[in-house]
Amino acid sequence: MSERLRLLARAAPLGLVLLLGLGWLLPEPGGLSLGSADGDAAARVETTLDALGDAPIVAVGFDPDVGTYPEIRPTVRVLLADLVARGAQLVFVSLTPEGRALLVAELGRLEAEGTDVATLVDLGYVAGSEAALVSLSRSVQAPGAPEALQAQLSAFGLGAADLIVVVGGNDLGPRTWVEQALPRIDQPPTVAIAPTILLPELVPYVESGQIDALIATPMAGASYRAAADPGGEGAGADRPPDRLTLLLGMLVALAVVGQALGARLVPAIRLLGRGERG
Amino acid sequence: MTGLFDGLPAGAAATWVAALATIVVLGGLLGERRAFGWSQHLLAGLATGFLALLAIREVIVPRLLEPLIADPGNRVDLWLGLGLMGLAAGAPWLPRSVTALPVSIALGSLAAFALGGAIVGTLLPQLATTIARPSGGLMSTTVAIASAGVTALVLTSFLHGGPRGRLLGAATSAGRWLLVAGLGGWLGYLLLSRLILLMDRIGFLLGDWLGIGL
Repeated sequence: MSERLRLLARAAPLGLVLLLGLGWLLPEPGGLSLGSADGDAAARVETTLDALGDAPIVAVGFDPDVGTYPEIRPTVRVLLADLVARGAQLVFVSLTPEGRALLVAELGRLEAEGTDVATLVDLGYVAGSEAALVSLSRSVQAPGAPEALQAQLSAFGLGAADLIVVVGGNDLGPRTWVEQALPRIDQPPTVAIAPTILLPELVPYVESGQIDALIATPMAGASYRAAADPGGEGAGADRPPDRLTLLLGMLVALAVVGQALGARLVPAIRLLGRGERG
Repeated sequence: MTGLFDGLPAGAAATWVAALATIVVLGGLLGERRAFGWSQHLLAGLATGFLALLAIREVIVPRLLEPLIADPGNRVDLWLGLGLMGLAAGAPWLPRSVTALPVSIALGSLAAFALGGAIVGTLLPQLATTIARPSGGLMSTTVAIASAGVTALVLTSFLHGGPRGRLLGAATSAGRWLLVAGLGGWLGYLLLSRLILLMDRIGFLLGDWLGIGL
């Protein structure tokens, strides 16, 4: 590799960061719309939420992954705001330490933004992975909850919930809930929010009806946010993924893949050409 | 870290620390390895501290010590669990036949939960959904046949050694390419997630820290 190429390779990451920064600063072109791409998933979420009664109990399994949470964070925040606006009693639980850390931050944000803390019940971190989920599906001890809710959770466990919301990304995500909890509590309506990487794993559960609604792509998230929260207040001070920056990043990724492919193909084509001439 | 606590010294300090940590990690991309290495150590230390805090505050004290102190005579389950935990902790000094007990219980229960859940929650419902039915129509049948074909081809790609015919060789090769295509698709999804993470950090530096573009 020549010195110039070496310098170029070294400066490439800085170039990418500068390009993405520029994309973030530039105003978004009107023709690019994430939200118009996948309205079906958003409609499923809306239908599921609309079917809930007054003051529903919503169990929220909160186990995202730090590395993928920025992708789903704006959607999670809008969904939580949507549920609070519908008068839901939210019961949060984390089965992973990472999820717990992110949940503490989200609960702090909700409280700082003026959400009525009486509507938020924090069950904390429950150790035991799958076994913990099985235990929660039988009985839940919620000392900080209102008395009526405490009694319901103690008697029916997660089965007391009118809706299950699973925020995934970590090992114990929507699939674990489908396998360990939902069959034990008579399959209540379930909404899952997960990063794109979990899409292939979770789509079969939507097709089989085990998960009622799934938001697992930035497009589906943008559609839901546009439908549920046109003003964008629910996402707090968060700025959702930028369409232009996303496009620039994907173009760079395609260029890198194309370059790698070209570097393999060009010598092979040259060799083929020489062989034909010979 | 999202400007929620703007104006408060603690919030500002947190934003500055987060911004510096982000710059140090991004500096790793440009070859600044020493500071990046320190940031990794810092992350490992903080994660360990957080885990210890979580274990003490949310597991050991409220779920073990408090119930034991409140009613020591009637909590046989907790005493048993504590005993098994002691055996596991004493593994370096105790005979293997003794320490195998807690390990085998942990592994056995983990496998039992995972396997039982996979069968009841995934395998049976998915089989019931994907199985071709007469009422499903041509599309459903075609999809089911295609799924079975792709699954069979991918499974043949795991065949190694032994004599192979021309047909089986072609099927193995096709299965391997399908597997590679699947992995490529998965990496594409991963790329999207990581790209959004990078955008988020750049947005944090520009917007929350420098206050540009908000």
